[in-house]
Amino acid sequence: MALLDRHEWYDIARDTNWTPGYVSREELFPPELSDPYGIPVEEWETFDEPYKVSYREYVKIQREKDSSAYSVKAALSRSKFHDEAGEGWASVLKLHYGSVALTEYQACQFQARMVRFGPSPSMRNMATFGMLDELRHAQLQLFFPHELVHRDRQYDWAHEAAHTNNWAVVGGRHAFDDIMMCRDAITGTLMVSFAFETGLTNLQMIGLSTDAANVGDFTFANLITSIQSDEARHAQLGTPSIEIMVRNGRKKEAQQILDIAFWRMWRLFSITVGIPMDYYIPLEQRHLSFKEFMYEWVNRQYVRQVEDIGLERPWYWDEFLDDIENHHHCQQGGIWSWRPTVWWNPPGAVSPEERQWLEEKYPGWNASYGTYWDVITDNLLAGREEKTHPECLPIICNMCQIPISNRPGEPWKARVLQHEHEGRRYNFCTEPCRWIFTTDPDRYKDHESIVDRLYSGEIQPPTLDGVLAYMGIGVVSEGGHDGADYSWIEGFRAQAAE
Amino acid sequence: MSDKERNNSVGPVLRAGEVAEAVLEALREDNPDKDFVIEDQVSYIRIETEGECVIRRETMSRAMGRPFAMAELEINLTSFSGRIETTDDQMRFYLQRTL
Repeated sequence: MALLDRHEWYDIARDTNWTPGYVSREELFPPELSDPYGIPVEEWETFDEPYKVSYREYVKIQREKDSSAYSVKAALSRSKFHDEAGEGWASVLKLHYGSVALTEYQACQFQARMVRFGPSPSMRNMATFGMLDELRHAQLQLFFPHELVHRDRQYDWAHEAAHTNNWAVVGGRHAFDDIMMCRDAITGTLMVSFAFETGLTNLQMIGLSTDAANVGDFTFANLITSIQSDEARHAQLGTPSIEIMVRNGRKKEAQQILDIAFWRMWRLFSITVGIPMDYYIPLEQRHLSFKEFMYEWVNRQYVRQVEDIGLERPWYWDEFLDDIENHHHCQQGGIWSWRPTVWWNPPGAVSPEERQWLEEKYPGWNASYGTYWDVITDNLLAGREEKTHPECLPIICNMCQIPISNRPGEPWKARVLQHEHEGRRYNFCTEPCRWIFTTDPDRYKDHESIVDRLYSGEIQPPTLDGVLAYMGIGVVSEGGHDGADYSWIEGFRAQAAE
Repeated sequence: MSDKERNNSVGPVLRAGEVAEAVLEALREDNPDKDFVIEDQVSYIRIETEGECVIRRETMSRAMGRPFAMAELEINLTSFSGRIETTDDQMRFYLQRTL
């Protein structure tokens, strides 16, 4: 039997925008869940998705993707790769799975909101595939680490992290609740489909695959690029939505939505991708620096796409460029110092050779971040390991929930930006984090950071063990230690001996 | 790097492998007046040209040596520069504004 070509029936099959008879359109699509911008339904009916797929094609293609991902895993699961890969790569995997796996279920719920409340029939159709995509991603990224749990309990965070109040999880939850779980379909699609999936996920799912292939983890390289091939399609929900907003006098709102979401996701990604790329991947297997990947995927590709739909780079662009040079270096120092609070084993990874690579990629690293690690290195060489653990609490940003830090050196640029609202003082790490709060204080004002919770008495007992248990450490698994057993100081010991 | 930020680059980013090689062959055949820049990043290949390019199903079928459905490209298409437009017979990458 001859089949019609897709384009001969596609529009009819997709166009399910019937006129409601028993309820009003307002009741069927409440603005707070659907479109709060008051754009007429006829405008939404012009939404034409640029990346089309039929259900028949979808099922066939997804089956092929899954069968490839699972068969590569099966073929390599008896290899000795994980015995030999080392703690640096294991930390990449633990951080990845712990921060991503259940977030994919949240993404699935978000796509489901577009399926139900998207004001355009094409959007609802396309989001149906997006919803199924995200379900696949969650299941893959729970199943793949599961076989590693028996060798190391820290891999269990793939499933458990989202159920804990670990500080890193609180940061991720705050950001994803903001852009994905608590937004109407239109604001959400600009934030998730465009700012997040067109922009930053490429770094974690494609950029990181280069390092995975170099390290020899073909299972992981194949897995994450398979996932991103879904994202490349369903991320295309964003472009027509933005164009319709711009055409209907909502350009200013669209710009603000992207600027909020991009900054929120950037702060997370500089940790979950930036630190692994520049510190955890063994030096000899690093392909490009995080900064080089950022310029490829964001500064060249994403920004060009933003400009092509009639919007602009974010107002905080200069601060963002500065952050590419700094934020993940700060957080590598912070996370390593507070290593007992995380579910992976972060290597210090600042041997003489590694420092030389960092200086090449980030000129000035030695004169700034190097001075921080000099003190730590000296303490370790002198056998004063206890002095490498901080004795006080960090100040946490009330937006990104990440410890506030900045470039060390003379002068050390650490500073806290404060803001008073309804009698409460809030701390912020940067101008964009403070700005996001001021765009909608009611949305953010009641949240308490981990440190706020300690001072307010929510965390009991308020001791180190109490805090760690509250964060899931010693409950799900043991916390972290230096992933290289301090072997990176040996080059300095040899230099000192000469 | 900064000189590349203002660009008019479009084109697919593909998982490295035989499909990526076929795509490159098809792109050269379907866009004879274009120059392509290829960045080999080990696990993926970025192929870019100026302004616009298309990949046609017929050309892909010839390059693969078997019938090829345009939707199959999705399996290996992890990202792209510029914008995309898909039909049964071709995939097109383009930009609306030229810088």
